[in-house]
This record gives sequence, structure tokens and C-alpha cells, in this order.
Amino acid sequence: MQIPKGKYRLEKRDLNFDIVDDLNFNNSGSCFYLRGGNGFGKTSFLEEIIIPALRTDNLSFLYIGQDIRTQLYTLRALLSIQGYKVSNTDEVELLRLWIHHSQSASVLILDEFDKYFPDYGFIFDWSDAFIRTYIIVTHLGMDGCEAVAKNHRISNARFELINIDGRLKNVRVKNE
Amino acid sequence: MAIYNLDGLLDQYDGEFLVLEFNHLFISSTIREEVWLLQRRNDSSLISKIMQAAREFDIHEVSGDRDFETYSGGQKAILACLLTLALIDDRKIHGLKLLLNNILDSISEENRSILIQKFNEACSTSDIKFFTEKDGHVQEII
Repeated sequence: MQIPKGKYRLEKRDLNFDIVDDLNFNNSGSCFYLRGGNGFGKTSFLEEIIIPALRTDNLSFLYIGQDIRTQLYTLRALLSIQGYKVSNTDEVELLRLWIHHSQSASVLILDEFDKYFPDYGFIFDWSDAFIRTYIIVTHLGMDGCEAVAKNHRISNARFELINIDGRLKNVRVKNE
Repeated sequence: MAIYNLDGLLDQYDGEFLVLEFNHLFISSTIREEVWLLQRRNDSSLISKIMQAAREFDIHEVSGDRDFETYSGGQKAILACLLTLALIDDRKIHGLKLLLNNILDSISEENRSILIQKFNEACSTSDIKFFTEKDGHVQEII
């Protein structure tokens, strides 16, 4: 899956993206980190550009969102419906079960999961066998990311605020 | 391991700390409502103070009536800290211990520095202490 360079307008989120480099998510065993200031549209980029592109390419993906509270409730319900006894299962085990039973996925998206676990290497251990590409929003420094994703080829995209026109933010996205 | 164990967090710390937790930042939907609940009046000067401080973090589109859900996760965390700092200053609160849980890691490096500077100022004027928690360990951040 590739996001071609160009201008992307997300009207309902008051964001314009100017993607100055093609973003290539095809490399197997790669970790693609998205970095940038607060409110520069990283989560919107995931939800409005990357996820629709994955759907267009018919690529199955897993997405662990930033607001994990709601997602954990949903996961517990989902796994219960599928017949797993999870009433007393802790949250990490819930995630492990969900990932383990989602092996048709080839892309795993993490939105600031590292705020819960700065060392989230266990996610790779659980999913390396079937996930080809990891897309990760982070505020950790590059050194920290390289230490966690040590067995993966790392790419970085930086979100930079160009200007604000009223409520509309113009954001540049470029490879780093 | 726990990702999000609010009950455990409160059981362990709420007797000693005021806890700010990333997944539970606000009671209501806007800064104005939040201030109403905390001050029991429409405290425009407090709202203005929070909005002014928010602009230092590039949150230019801030407004007292904007729904929190339209801000990014990091922006919400910053606004919760600014609201708390504004209240501490307004009510002349002294000696408070504030525990930030999953807050600083959701904020960009640049904004984290500005925020810690603001915490530093509160430390010197109000004798407030700030802490973070990871894996059952509390650490003072200033």
C-alpha cells in the first residue's frame, strides 16, 4: 500500500495535508513511525487516509487506538461473543488473545501505545509471524523506537505545521 | 501487566495524590462546562487564562465552548493540565501532590518542555509536587 505524494484535504477535521514524499508501506518487516506536534493530524491521517487506503487495497489490519478505554470494553465483548472466557482476563492478555486470533491481518496500527508501555516489544513477539507492516504514532525519540523495533526496518514520517488559516491547519508530511 | 486499571490506580494513590489520567481527563464536554462544575459559576477570567495558556502550545483554535472530542489526544491532555494549574493558582492551593498518569507520553517533546516549565512555576509559587507513575513506581518529575 502506498500513499502518493500530493495534497489531501480533510474538510470535516479542518486539516490540509501536503504530503511531499510518496509514503510506501509495502516493505515486509517494516515499522513506519509517524511523528509530530500535538494536533497536527496524526490520528486523523491514520483514520482518514491510511485506513481507507488499506480498505481500498483489501488489506486486513488491526488498529489499537489512542483512547484504549472504549476499545478494551469492546475487545472483551468481542472475545466473549467468540466463546472465550475473558471476564477476569487482564487487558494485556485481552490484546494478546485478540492479536493471536487475527492472523489474517497484515498491518498493525498503534496510536501512541507506547505511553502505556514504552517497551512494547511484546507486541512484535505476538504478531511478527503474520504482520508485514507496523504503523505507529509516537512521541518517543528515535533512539527509543529503534531499541524497541530492533528487528525491523524503520521509516519515519514527520508532521510539520506550515500555518493556520482560521481553523484550517496546513500540515506538511515528509519522510525523515 | 495492566494497560488501563483505573480502580487499581485510585486504590493505590487517591489518598495521597490528585490523579490526572489520560483516559479520564474531564467530567464534561467543554472547558466552560468544566469550569462551571469546578467553580460553580461561569468564571470567564479563568477560561480566558486557560485559553491564553493553550495558545503557547499551538492550540490556537481553542475555545471555551469547543467539544473536547474535537481536540487531539495530546491537546486534551495539555488542556487538562492547564485547567488544573489555573485552578491551583486561582484557589491558592498549596502542598498538593499531582500524579500524571499516561499524560506526558501523549505530548510532543516541545510541548512537554513548555508544560514542565509551567509545573516548575507552580512548584515555586504554590509548593505543588508533580509525579508520574509507571509499573507501580511513582517518580517526582521536577
